[in-house]
Amino acid sequence: MIELQQVSKSFGEYQVLKGISAVFERGKTNLIIGQSGSGKTVLLKSIIGLHEIDGGSIIYDGKVFSRMNFKEKKEIRKEIGMVFQGGALFDSSTVEENVIYPLDMFTRMTLAEKIDRANFCLKRVNIENANKLYPSELSGGMKKRVAIARAISIEPQYLFFDEPNSGLDPKNAILIDKLIKEITEEFNTTTIINTHDMNSVMEIGDKVIFIFEGRKWWEGDRNSILQSENPELNSFIYATSLMQKIRSFVNN
Amino acid sequence: MIVFDHIGRYSLLMKKVFSRPEKSKIYLNQIVKEIDKLGISSIGIVVVISVFMGAVITIQTGYNIESPFIPRYLIGLTTRDSMILEFSSTIVSLILAGKVGSNIASEIGTMRVTEQIDALEIMGINSASFLILPKIIASLLINPFLVIISIFIGIIGGWIGGTVLTSVISVMDYVRGLQYYFIPYYITYTLIKTEVFAFIITSVSSYCGYYTTGGALEVGRSSTKAVVYSSVLILLFNLLLTQLLLS
Repeated sequence: MIELQQVSKSFGEYQVLKGISAVFERGKTNLIIGQSGSGKTVLLKSIIGLHEIDGGSIIYDGKVFSRMNFKEKKEIRKEIGMVFQGGALFDSSTVEENVIYPLDMFTRMTLAEKIDRANFCLKRVNIENANKLYPSELSGGMKKRVAIARAISIEPQYLFFDEPNSGLDPKNAILIDKLIKEITEEFNTTTIINTHDMNSVMEIGDKVIFIFEGRKWWEGDRNSILQSENPELNSFIYATSLMQKIRSFVNN
Repeated sequence: MIVFDHIGRYSLLMKKVFSRPEKSKIYLNQIVKEIDKLGISSIGIVVVISVFMGAVITIQTGYNIESPFIPRYLIGLTTRDSMILEFSSTIVSLILAGKVGSNIASEIGTMRVTEQIDALEIMGINSASFLILPKIIASLLINPFLVIISIFIGIIGGWIGGTVLTSVISVMDYVRGLQYYFIPYYITYTLIKTEVFAFIITSVSSYCGYYTTGGALEVGRSSTKAVVYSSVLILLFNLLLTQLLLS
């Protein structure tokens, strides 16, 4: 479980996060949604420690991450898997080497064990016979899946996804969503996903928090989100004509 | 003020770079890869430049020493000392600042803007040390060899230009000049310069790449900055080191 208590973050004069509190439970897919520029990526990067927060606390299963020193944070990071928006695969390394990287850093496995683990993770995300390919030879969907394989290679307790569906066609986006949901339940991870894709919200949103202008504006799940009467949330949800049609269909 | 800001950020980065590596085996593999990428792949350009530099020095010196009071073998001596003292270390380093420096800045800059550096940090890796230290060590190890190769090839180039192509000097005079009044300290001097220049090229270019923000355009700008800053610093340190080591 990850708990946020009054988290705030500024860049110079500009305050991006304004006292956000939330609880993200284990074994559930927790979504952070909001418009571009609302502060959700800064929030995610603050949770994983890529940004130092100015105020509040970030607590990983009772341990206050935001007050830890580098060494203590490194111990927690052994339990963290992160999938970045563009995959962030290392260009000069093959698919297999990319998946092995975290194992090199955090384990004392032999090379054969590491290759076995990489093969298992790649198979789990439905990628086979691509071990020796470079990221430049992969499609967008494959890159995302390799990034997921890399993230789960160390059997993390906490999984983070930044816009996992961006740049993907709807079919691949659904595949990735399903994969995230399956992995979360299979490995019992605390999963936090940053997205502005309403399909993801409706598919896998066990818990959803809506960020607007750096504040938590709404909290609920995929079942309650369509019944929300929050005007800012509704203007976000029903921004597309498809969602507007669904709303009028449901209302009628 | 901007200069002080750069110096401060550069110093902090170097402090991070030289912190103790946690998995030295991975660093060793990286160093071997960087030696190949930064050094071995530069041998071709170093050889081409050195041949032409040596040939031109010999021909120019030959055409400018027409006095009967100056012995012809001094042309060989001039080529040898010019290559050792200045051309092989400084000019080759300037060329490497262009080739290797831009490569380093664009590689690290691209890693920054595509969040690969963030991915390393998430894995608990000191990204500055992991990416930059192997490059610095590889350059410090391989650049002296490049300079030694450049000196030899430059001298051969001088022989080709002065005797085979233009006949400004006989082979005997050229060889006598190469052997005449050799000062071994000049080799030490040029190797010290080479090491300093190697550190400047890799560390300054890495600094420019590491602090890239934005997208492809900014990566290009970082690459240009890396070449300009490295070249200016090489020239500045060339002056300082020459004054310090030869005065």
